[in-house]
Amino acid sequence: MLSRCFILSLICNILIAQLSISGSLKPSGMFRISDHSRIDLPFRIAELELGYTMGDFDFMLNSAVEYRWGENNYVFDLREAYTVWFPNWGEVKFGKQIHAWGIVDGNNPTDNLNAYDYYFMFLPGTDRKVGSLSAAMTVYWGDWQLEGVIIPDHIPNRMPFHEPDFPFQIPIEPSKYEKIDNSLEYGVRLKITLGETDIGISYFDGRDRSFSLLGVDTFNIIKIDPKFGYRATSVFGLNMVTFIDDITLRAEVGYFSTKNDFQESWFRFFVTEAEYVQYVIQFEYRTVSSSTIGAQLIGNHVLNAVGQTVDLVTMDPVAINTDNFVPGLGTPFAMIAEQSLSIVGSGMFFDESLELGYNLLINLEEKGQMVGVNAAYSLIENWSIDGSVSYFKGDDNPQNKFEQLEDFSHFQFQLAYSF
Amino acid sequence: MIRTIFLLIIIFSTTYPQDGLAIAKMVDERKAPQDIVSKTTMLLTNSKGKTRTSTILSKSINNGSKQILWFLNPADDKGVAFLKIEHDDKADEMRMWLPAFKKVRRISSSKKGDSFMGSDLSYEDMTNRALDENNYKRLDDDTIDSKACFVLEVVPNAEIKSSYSKHITWIEKETLMAIREESYDRGGNLRKKKTFIFKPVSGYNVVSEIFVEDIQKSHSTKLTIADIKVDSGLAESLFQEKNLKRLPRN
Repeated sequence: MLSRCFILSLICNILIAQLSISGSLKPSGMFRISDHSRIDLPFRIAELELGYTMGDFDFMLNSAVEYRWGENNYVFDLREAYTVWFPNWGEVKFGKQIHAWGIVDGNNPTDNLNAYDYYFMFLPGTDRKVGSLSAAMTVYWGDWQLEGVIIPDHIPNRMPFHEPDFPFQIPIEPSKYEKIDNSLEYGVRLKITLGETDIGISYFDGRDRSFSLLGVDTFNIIKIDPKFGYRATSVFGLNMVTFIDDITLRAEVGYFSTKNDFQESWFRFFVTEAEYVQYVIQFEYRTVSSSTIGAQLIGNHVLNAVGQTVDLVTMDPVAINTDNFVPGLGTPFAMIAEQSLSIVGSGMFFDESLELGYNLLINLEEKGQMVGVNAAYSLIENWSIDGSVSYFKGDDNPQNKFEQLEDFSHFQFQLAYSF
Repeated sequence: MIRTIFLLIIIFSTTYPQDGLAIAKMVDERKAPQDIVSKTTMLLTNSKGKTRTSTILSKSINNGSKQILWFLNPADDKGVAFLKIEHDDKADEMRMWLPAFKKVRRISSSKKGDSFMGSDLSYEDMTNRALDENNYKRLDDDTIDSKACFVLEVVPNAEIKSSYSKHITWIEKETLMAIREESYDRGGNLRKKKTFIFKPVSGYNVVSEIFVEDIQKSHSTKLTIADIKVDSGLAESLFQEKNLKRLPRN
């Protein structure tokens, strides 16, 4: 009898549950401006999101299929699979998921819970992130919000090794990474609403998502055996949004403290310690015609860096300082230039059938800029044709990031169907 | 004699409200539901006849002073949600949930003239008009579709920074429901024509269709409001950020 009641109850629950399916098909092509050759990098040709709601619980699946022209190679990627419980006081999430912290658009120094997928670095929102198995709990209490996230395993950035078409070449692909004894990472965030201002503070304790040279095995006399891995890094974050007349001001700053904490006795590990800040200040303004204009000042400053490393070619020791220290965590765009200015705008034209946008990224420290224009035309409901042009201009210095990006100047087409 | 004059004043003031503010107060105090749940189909039509349809689930309390909206359609907007909380003593709060970014974005409530999701309705059009934030002048009565109407000129006070210079509103005398409105831009030119159709639901008159035509843009929006439920006991706690993230089942 009891088992019948249980089965009946289960069937009733399933019947009253709600299934939602959404997704998109987006065949896309990217071509160099210089010689019109195809840029051979993978893109997400299909995305599928499944949601299943039952009582106070949601079950979410988010997947994508990556495709690369020429190779006829499809790769399935289960990007997220998690459960959310919505009690009266907040929400609890568990599973492989993507988190989003920070208050500015796109470049968030305080958003370090997930790794980045460098193949999709130029995509907006969560499309550029890698999901990680984690548990998160958010408590809402009036104008206060408190969130805690625990990530049991460190997930590094997905880096495009041996990809000649990727704009930045990674000189070495480590065959293995140093094992992390305690890979638990966690983050805490508090948000308060004070009238027309939202203020947030956050703390993250974990590891770099980009690898560094941690040491060299000095006992190996046959060949140089470099040791790669991920430094321990913590981040204090502060962010705010406020409104000054018709202007919206968003600001976000992250203070990073990192060190190489690998200290095994028979290897030689370098001592490395550094502190750096990344910040983004964003202004937004909507014109009378409902067009949007926004500007971001993006900065990355190494405050202090000490330690040593070696030149892997000559094996000469090299002292680490604020000029040659490379951060392994934070918003990737802050690493393109010490200080840059991004200007974006968008508006609807031709009787609202065409959405046009532009973006301009200017390196304020040395010569370099990126100019981008994008257009989206909605053919019929749920179908659109998107096109964009991105043009990078550096100087003749091969170390200049914008110079490295020059050959990546491209135009892109995409046909999108959403369902 | 004094008693007769006093009685005449009472009868006169209740039968023939002379000034616009009195009519606006009557409209404001009209019997209204505590909360409304509805499903709205929003049809946008441009000058070339091209259309775009959205379906929105709306829940509101206190005559719309707290409102939460979830977009159910089209596919590329599905899951986008909007929370509006009007305050008497401070600026209104507006927040949007953008599923693609997994972020709740606080947006400015000062730019009242901004279009709501590409429609001909602005955020100001979706906000209640506080009695003390406008000046009301009664114009000559009119008849629309055989319905006797009060006609009010509503001029927003300078301090509320309205995107309109004035509205002319036709209010059906029998029901005290607005059935037509013309809104003029800051330059005094006609900007929008709005018509409202309402129907009785559980003893209340509830708007069931809104047609807004932007004269200057030759663009129109038709809102068809269906599945209307009133006084279903919505809790104040529904109107908080966390509920933006989850499409309700009903």
